[in-house]
Amino acid sequence: MTSADRARRVLKRLVAASAAERILISSAALGLSILLGAVLVLIAGRMTTCTASDAVYYFGTGFCYDPVLVFDRLFLGALGEPFSGGWSPEGQFSVTLRETTLLMFTGLSVALAFRAGIFNIGTQGQMVVGGLATAVLVLRAADLVSGVVGAVLLIPFGVVVGAVFGGLYGSIPGFLKAYADANEVITTIMLNFIATGVTLYLVSGAFKDPESAANQTVPLPEYAQFPTVLFGGRQDFSLVALAFGVLAIGGLYYLLEHTAFGYDIRTSGLQPDAAEYGGVDAKRTIVASLTLSGAFGGVAGAMYVMMVLGTFQSGLPSYGFDGITVSILAGNNPIGVGFAALLFGVLKSGTTVVQFATDVPPQLVGVLRGLIILFVAMPEFFRMVGRRVVDPGSKPVATDGGPAKGSADE
Amino acid sequence: MSDAPAEAPGTDAEAGSDPDPDSTPNAGPLGSRSNRELIAWAAIGTLAALLLGGAAFPNTILGVLADVITDKDTLSAALRLSVPIAFAALGGIFSEKSGVINIGLEGLLIISAFTAIYVTDVTGGIWIGFGGGVVASTLLALLFAVVTIEFRADQIIAGLAVWLIALGLAPFASQVIYNGPNTPTVGTTGSIYVPVLAEIPFFGALFSASPSVYMLFVAVAASWYVFERTAFGRWIRASGENPKALDTAGVNVSRVRYVGILVSGVLAGMGGSALSLDLGQFTGNGPTMVNGKGFIAIVAYLFGNYNPIGAFLATMLFAGLDAIQTVLQLQGIGLPRQLIRIIPFVVVIVVLALVGRTRLPEAAGDHYESGEE
Repeated sequence: MTSADRARRVLKRLVAASAAERILISSAALGLSILLGAVLVLIAGRMTTCTASDAVYYFGTGFCYDPVLVFDRLFLGALGEPFSGGWSPEGQFSVTLRETTLLMFTGLSVALAFRAGIFNIGTQGQMVVGGLATAVLVLRAADLVSGVVGAVLLIPFGVVVGAVFGGLYGSIPGFLKAYADANEVITTIMLNFIATGVTLYLVSGAFKDPESAANQTVPLPEYAQFPTVLFGGRQDFSLVALAFGVLAIGGLYYLLEHTAFGYDIRTSGLQPDAAEYGGVDAKRTIVASLTLSGAFGGVAGAMYVMMVLGTFQSGLPSYGFDGITVSILAGNNPIGVGFAALLFGVLKSGTTVVQFATDVPPQLVGVLRGLIILFVAMPEFFRMVGRRVVDPGSKPVATDGGPAKGSADE
Repeated sequence: MSDAPAEAPGTDAEAGSDPDPDSTPNAGPLGSRSNRELIAWAAIGTLAALLLGGAAFPNTILGVLADVITDKDTLSAALRLSVPIAFAALGGIFSEKSGVINIGLEGLLIISAFTAIYVTDVTGGIWIGFGGGVVASTLLALLFAVVTIEFRADQIIAGLAVWLIALGLAPFASQVIYNGPNTPTVGTTGSIYVPVLAEIPFFGALFSASPSVYMLFVAVAASWYVFERTAFGRWIRASGENPKALDTAGVNVSRVRYVGILVSGVLAGMGGSALSLDLGQFTGNGPTMVNGKGFIAIVAYLFGNYNPIGAFLATMLFAGLDAIQTVLQLQGIGLPRQLIRIIPFVVVIVVLALVGRTRLPEAAGDHYESGEE
């Protein structure tokens, strides 16, 4: 039993489920997580203290936190108050799109590897490495050009640098897996810690901005950052970056579904033995998919540097880990990643609104993230519930992963 | 995995269908055993060379290193650092040998580390807090067991979920209760000091350690005994290697797996409680104070080949490195702090690359469904 076998089985199960069922399961998982999150908010509201007038009352009991308010703020706040009039793209909505853009890339990174039967937990590290490389090299290159020409040249250059360095970092677990049989779940997690440590060292030493107290690189000039189109500059969102993200989704979809390389990746993920028999070089496919996966992670880092911060700072937010959730929620489908990224963009951006409007700790979204993964991982649970609701008498069928799947599985 | 013909799953399946799993404790690819021994000897050789070099040239960096390694404080720090990792590794062995890969050990450590402090803070009793941490971890393990056994969730993804839930929940609770990701400090477990014996150079550290270190020794020995000498240990192994045979023998596979996972919850909980109560505080920023220990534990038991004693020795290797790097940091020599800190993670990767594929229990990762329903 190898991790590839395991991944293959998961994928098989996911593919066996029809697209409609997958959407249903993902929505149910989301709904259930929110429900549990609400319960958690209520419990937390009992554990903290507040004045009687601040409390809300449900079932005759006072709670310090109001889950309805929390989720109202989380979703409506993130969408920029669509129902209260005076909606403008300048506000929180552009933060949501900014987060969505970054999550698209980390989500695609995880999804691509997953389709090849590989768990890439290392998107976070690949993003950190790509981000630092972009910050450093674009800064060097920015001295050579300036103005509009600068922007036209530097932004694609930065994205490519992020992709190359993220890809190189992603190729490490690829080689380790292909040629040394080292489990990628563990190597990528370790490489995350290593990326954090090494970049902290570099950014507090060799590449440190001498003007700043924080551990960060010298900020990039304005023309080396993503231009703000239509949206105000206040929220660090660029429509150009989002367009890049949409292009990437389309590109990965095309690559997976309509090219020979994509076919190799998919068959390696589903049936490694059959793929090998059919002439797919398994080792090469592993290295290539993890490299490409790392490249997507690296681009996320480049986007973060050139769109959001304008510099590289130690301690990047956990877009890489969120990418895992995005991808799992999307059933590792590139187009699904777009929607799941938007949903998580809402959750992340809504977190700040919740923080302003209530006292509920922002870590709530972290818990929701874990719950969503947990529920999506158990489609059988929803099928059981579904069977009981729809047809209490029916016997489960073997093809939907019912009990007929014995120990001798497959 | 690469699934090159020579090591295709089929090869493993044949080895695993061997009626007596005892006879093939190392039935992995031939290279794996010798590599494992190679690393062990390399580690011992390096150590010996360092000590000899240090004795020969006391005033060089080698001398400093040798001093650090033979220092009683280093052993005592290594023991302290190994407690959470080794407990989690023992837990991982129980779960994975029974056929369920528990990648959520990190989450179990996080949740127990926080709960131990919280319960201690509320009740005032350190050992009550310790128990509270164990209960919290066991409950989370129970959730994991229900999800993987009853609802056939993918074990890796569900394990990731356990980690992420704990990673969010512990700082969330800390924020709710203490208005910050870090808890206030409570009492610590202190240490047990054996007079006279504790004075022995170097090994004296074994007799002046925190109670959790002694509990760890007991747990390692007990785990070894359970696997080697009891019927339950055989059931656990059979449940992971050949669940069908176990089922045929009339033992309920699901029940064995439940117990395996719950034991992993108890053991990881002891590790997490010991971790935070050793400092008297839980810190929940970023990856929290657990900071990858659960994942290092997985590598430790893989390296230790699912043997409790092997896993403990592997843990001591990682923890020893960690202890040495801490001392080196304090002395401010050699590499910069941020780089020294990543040494254990690099070593984990190198070890994993050299040991390569470890032979997982045959049915690990698979859901088992008994024929009758």
